[in-house]
Amino acid sequence: MLFNFREKLNSSKFLVTAEVSPPKGTRFSVPLEDAHQLKGIADALNVTDNQCSIMHMSSLAFSKLLLDDGHEPIMQLTCRDRNRIGLQSDLLGAYALGIRNICLMTGDFPSCGDHPGSKPVYDLDSVQLLQLVRKLESGIDFAGNMLDGGTSFCTGAVSGIDPEKILQLIKLEKKAKCGADFIQTQAVYDVGMFEEFMEAISHLEVPVIAGLIPLKSLGMAEYMNKNISGINVPEEIMFRMKEASNPIEEGLSIASETIKELMKLSRGIHVMPIGSHKNTPRLLSMAGISGK
Amino acid sequence: MIITSAKPLEEILALLKDEDDIFVIGCNVCAAKLKTGGEPEVLEICRRLEGSGKRVVGWALPTAACSVRSFESLAQKNEKINEAHCILVMGCGSGVSTVASVTEVPVYGSNNTLSLGGSSEGKLLSGQCIMCGNCTISEFGGLCPKSQCPKGLLNGPCGGAVDGMCEVNRENDCVWNLIYERLKKIKRLDLLYSIHAPRSMVLNNFISNILI
Repeated sequence: MLFNFREKLNSSKFLVTAEVSPPKGTRFSVPLEDAHQLKGIADALNVTDNQCSIMHMSSLAFSKLLLDDGHEPIMQLTCRDRNRIGLQSDLLGAYALGIRNICLMTGDFPSCGDHPGSKPVYDLDSVQLLQLVRKLESGIDFAGNMLDGGTSFCTGAVSGIDPEKILQLIKLEKKAKCGADFIQTQAVYDVGMFEEFMEAISHLEVPVIAGLIPLKSLGMAEYMNKNISGINVPEEIMFRMKEASNPIEEGLSIASETIKELMKLSRGIHVMPIGSHKNTPRLLSMAGISGK
Repeated sequence: MIITSAKPLEEILALLKDEDDIFVIGCNVCAAKLKTGGEPEVLEICRRLEGSGKRVVGWALPTAACSVRSFESLAQKNEKINEAHCILVMGCGSGVSTVASVTEVPVYGSNNTLSLGGSSEGKLLSGQCIMCGNCTISEFGGLCPKSQCPKGLLNGPCGGAVDGMCEVNRENDCVWNLIYERLKKIKRLDLLYSIHAPRSMVLNNFISNILI
């Protein structure tokens, strides 16, 4: 690997990251094969941490499996399941195993997932978790004890893109202040809104990687507009999905057009398809991205 | 106010299945307000226990079940407590524990204890405070995100709220929206920019009691 993700972040290359999910079980060949399709195309693979509070193999273990398979993982880490002891010990372990990129977030509440009765931890929030990561880099732990070897992660955080949501923008500002190396956003459909968002945060010197979820159907767009915070699929796109004879192809066309617009506005894109990455290589080539 | 809800009679009867000669103790503060342990409820449970074939030796209504000086002070209210083979407390968990600490017979609770809350304008306010032992509520305009946000987030909302409603329960306002409105009203929006450190659980009452 000529450049690692941190170096690429500091270069002028338009970045592509893609979300991959660890398996629900101990067999990992299927998700590894899915990730294999992204070799040479994605700059890093973002590994989910029990996404939607649905229990999976740990993001740490699957990140290591991806690393061994020649990928560059970004290990997601949420505040939901571990207190500050567990978070630090996983971060030390991840670093020792060669994982160099992480992405921090609050995490969905357990009641959203398949173990609704489990205890929600949230000992730290995502801003405090960023502070904790920065502290480990200085060679001491969160309680001030010396470490025999610290960490040095390229550390991302997440954000919505609605410029009207002042509280979200203030929180993003806190994340930037606490030293986030990049920001990964909620899925973008409304490029105009994303442009306003980028203007609203232009005083923060942090690279922004725009989220992208290719639409598969009109119903999916309607569901997201109604239920997912910060997602706004504009009327025009809804109309195109409604009229499409092949909604999956139309969703890819829309996404590729969005990518072309985002190339002028963001440092990169983060592709989060629902299901496999079967169509991701084609989507990227439709958008004119051919790989390294 | 400690928020309680009454257990169903069947559950109380199951708790008392091997017991008889029951003495009932209500609580004239929170439980009375919530109708889970005031005089009408105490009389009602006595009647229903007797209707289910149990012997009730008597009852008492201390000012607060969680503030009982001694066994004698309970006996002064009703000496029948001396004949009791068990006690049913109609208060919160703290009331049950306090009564248990001054008595020798088995003590049972008739309520579920839910949270530290309040009531205002006829509305019950549950989960207003988690008693963390390190209060910073004034930095949030008088609304505690540690207790009212299900994730206890101190540095702003999560990404899950939709139209100002909480991700976890869509019928509840996201407390961060309420905090914003409140700080706007009192002209202290500047407070939203403070970065809050995580709470130290060492200061939590529960843990510090053990440490002392």
